[in-house]
Amino acid sequence: MSKFKIIRKKDLNKQDYLIEIEAPRVAQKLQPGQFVILMTHEDGERIPMSVKSTDDKTIIMYIKRLGKTSLELDDLKVGDSIYQVIGPQGKAFKIQKYGNIVWCSDLVCGHAENYAYCEALSKIKGNHVISIQSFPTKDDAYGEEDLRSVSHEYYLTTYDGTYGRKGHYNDVLQDLLEENRVDLVFGCGDIGKLRDMAELTKKYDVPARAVLRQIMIDGTGMCGACRVFIDGVMKLTCVDGPLFDAHKVNFDEVINRLNMFKKPEQLAKDLYLKMRDTNG
Amino acid sequence: MVKNRVPMREQPVNVRVTNFNEVPLGYSTEEALTEASRCLQCANSPCIKQCPVNIDVTKFVEQVAMKDFRGAYSTLKESNPIPSIAGRVCPQENQCEGACVMGKAGQPISIGKLEAFIGDWAIENSIRESVQIVENGKKVAIIGSGPTGISCAADLRKEGYKVKIFEALHKAGGVLRYGIPEFRLPKKIVDIELSFLEELGVEIQLNTIIGQHISFEEILDEYDAIYVGTGAGAPRFMKLPGEELNGVYSANEFLIRTNLMKAYKFPEGSDTPIIVGKKVAVIGAGNVAIDAARCAIRYGAETHIIYRRTKNEAPARQEEFEHAIQEGVIFHELQNPVGINGENGWVESITCIKMELGEPDESLRRRPVPIEGSEFTEKFDTVIEAIGTLPNRLFLEKAEGLEVNRWGGIKVDEHLHTSIPGVFAGGDSISGGATVIQALGEGRSAATAIHKYLFSRT
Repeated sequence: MSKFKIIRKKDLNKQDYLIEIEAPRVAQKLQPGQFVILMTHEDGERIPMSVKSTDDKTIIMYIKRLGKTSLELDDLKVGDSIYQVIGPQGKAFKIQKYGNIVWCSDLVCGHAENYAYCEALSKIKGNHVISIQSFPTKDDAYGEEDLRSVSHEYYLTTYDGTYGRKGHYNDVLQDLLEENRVDLVFGCGDIGKLRDMAELTKKYDVPARAVLRQIMIDGTGMCGACRVFIDGVMKLTCVDGPLFDAHKVNFDEVINRLNMFKKPEQLAKDLYLKMRDTNG
Repeated sequence: MVKNRVPMREQPVNVRVTNFNEVPLGYSTEEALTEASRCLQCANSPCIKQCPVNIDVTKFVEQVAMKDFRGAYSTLKESNPIPSIAGRVCPQENQCEGACVMGKAGQPISIGKLEAFIGDWAIENSIRESVQIVENGKKVAIIGSGPTGISCAADLRKEGYKVKIFEALHKAGGVLRYGIPEFRLPKKIVDIELSFLEELGVEIQLNTIIGQHISFEEILDEYDAIYVGTGAGAPRFMKLPGEELNGVYSANEFLIRTNLMKAYKFPEGSDTPIIVGKKVAVIGAGNVAIDAARCAIRYGAETHIIYRRTKNEAPARQEEFEHAIQEGVIFHELQNPVGINGENGWVESITCIKMELGEPDESLRRRPVPIEGSEFTEKFDTVIEAIGTLPNRLFLEKAEGLEVNRWGGIKVDEHLHTSIPGVFAGGDSISGGATVIQALGEGRSAATAIHKYLFSRT
């Protein structure tokens, strides 16, 4: 079996890091809209992960130091290997002409998706791709140069106004909607803000898509853990998604299910940190 | 004639409910010899006829009685590539043991336990069947590494085919891996039985979904024949109000977390958590429901099974059912959930309606009919729906030209040949939900059919 070797690692800000891993089979097949499943070791979780971009033989991801697995991955060094990179999972998004597209992100996985979609969509004649990134403050910002290179228009907002425009992507989006120059909106990141995006676009009657990041186990359509209700019909994020019509998503249920394992996740993280401290 | 079988030593109930270790402790050599010598060696051997893979039961039991364990192993392997597994999970009471003449006067021979004894003996002593493989130059792809794929692969490889199994998950074994709990089938046994397959030269490619990672057309081009053993891995939900709540699991999710991901070792030995409340309701009474309930008991929950028919109609194996009751599972018959009620996003209670049995339905079991106005609500904090599974559509949606039947199973003719020439299918992907041994049997029949198909063509 292929070894999934870590080729590159870089801190993006205090919480987020970039990691590039060798996974030729996955890299060659992966298309925008699809994701991968990582396992750091044999008894590890199968965690779904967004991919920012691929190279010939590698995949590049943005990861937040959040739970045990992301910390464990961060503790590995360039040259180390992880147990599995599985994928691509999920449905690929059809890259074609959609007109004026706005892509919004305010969290790590969202920034990765933002890049992956914009890179493909901006190559299609007739698309005008607007990319918006939001960060809490100036020091948190990353990805600007990359996203500028794959979009026709680019905005960055910080919540405290220390860099770019003050506010959230929804503020920029509102202006663009008001100017009546949006055909399709995408978003990924903070789920509450994604709901706001859905409400906002609904008000302007502009179609919107949300990339959902539900908890998965196998990620092959077997367990049903990632079920979401789209217009009242049960769909599985892993095989029917992860991209859904934002106007039809039941966000209350999505948010509730995202919180299901908060307690055990904290327990695993604490235990890992304790172990890391003990081992120096 | 010795009427009673040699009893199987088991982990005591109060101990086993606190661990996931295997419940039966297995026969000792002495016990196996004594049990095997009870066999009457009937000339017409009804046990063989009732075995879905027609194991020569009389012969192998006699070999055990003669202490010819190597011979017994060869006899078993002629019909069944995974005796240690089948001996543990077959519903023998409806098959070989159900037909055993000894059952009329006393207890049938413990055929399953003897089969597991021999399989385990071979594992412990590193015994291999001696196989001479003459390569025939043809290639077969098998989709799915569950029981049906394993048996088809073993037979085809012995005929000289180059065989490659594609498995979607990071561990091989299909339902043996993700579905059946450790206390019924230790995963070490699955690992070893699969390693025998690899020693024969069968290649297993993990983490590969045909239709997603490799297109169906690609393998159609590359291989002379394909066997589809993709199982019935997709969960079925009852479509009850409240299924979105936290605390509601499909039996698949509950078992995958527990068996494949080893959530019972969380957080020290596994990174995959599971949340099991104080009071668990399992809906359904098949083997999967029983497995889920027995896992819930081991997680320390007060565990209830809710079933719309009665114990007599329950499809679960008798031994499993009895084990569950011994372990403290509470069985409620003639009830059916109509809704799951929540509080702050979590399960709080279930509303059920009482049922009565009406006229027999298609399955020849009496149809459960709701009693109007009999709804009642009981507090639960975890709900596990175990009402059956569906074929995994990830493959089926991408396999153009592959015809399916009314409920989504793959259509096959009497030779397990699908609507696409050279593509065969078996196991749960055609039947929906059957036994490991039936899937094994179909894998073997498919191997025969594939061999005939490839070598009768000019």
